[in-house]
Amino acid sequence: MTREEVMKTLNEIFCNVFDDDSIVLTDETNANDIEDWDSLEQINLIVAIENEFGMMFDMAEVSDLANVGEMADLIMSKSENE
Amino acid sequence: MNNYSFEQLSVGQSESFEVTVTSEMMDCFLKISGDTNPLHNDEEFAIEQGYEHKVVYGLLTTSFISKLVGVLLPGEKCLLQGVEAKYLKPVYVGDTLTVTGTIDELHESVKRASIKVIISNQNDKKVLKGKAEVGFLK
Repeated sequence: MTREEVMKTLNEIFCNVFDDDSIVLTDETNANDIEDWDSLEQINLIVAIENEFGMMFDMAEVSDLANVGEMADLIMSKSENE
Repeated sequence: MNNYSFEQLSVGQSESFEVTVTSEMMDCFLKISGDTNPLHNDEEFAIEQGYEHKVVYGLLTTSFISKLVGVLLPGEKCLLQGVEAKYLKPVYVGDTLTVTGTIDELHESVKRASIKVIISNQNDKKVLKGKAEVGFLK
């Protein structure tokens, strides 16, 4: 899977979780950019991402993420190591 | 009351309990919800619609998920974050329901358990299938 494909899949997940088809993610997108992105939606996002990509993160990995780009990098790095 | 921590749970672990739906429960739910719909309150109307009796509120049946997760799985540390429910068959006053929850997914990164819920009646017919998303208090 290319990074572009990862970002496309992440965009679909975000649209589903926030029920908002107008979301367009960039590497810099973070919780300040999406009004409903609170701690509960963060959990919903992580669970949806783990299920979609078939991988599990540990707590430290997800708590250090600053934006969507870092999430995409984490997914790429974990998929390369599998 | 059980008091499982996230770490004490495993996929496939389950808990269940039985409960009989009473008229008092229907009265309480009517008071709480304000749902005066005749399907739940008028025996004749419900029979005209093809049901055996007035139908128990779907959300009353769903409410047993609260006891399932808050008392049994995981119990005291439960922080209910979401519920999904599909109603498969009508429930009537006097039905004895078996409410069963089974751990379906454990997400360590966010300390969330996904619990598959099945509620069956005294004839072993599934009346509700659903899912509860549960976080954990400290």
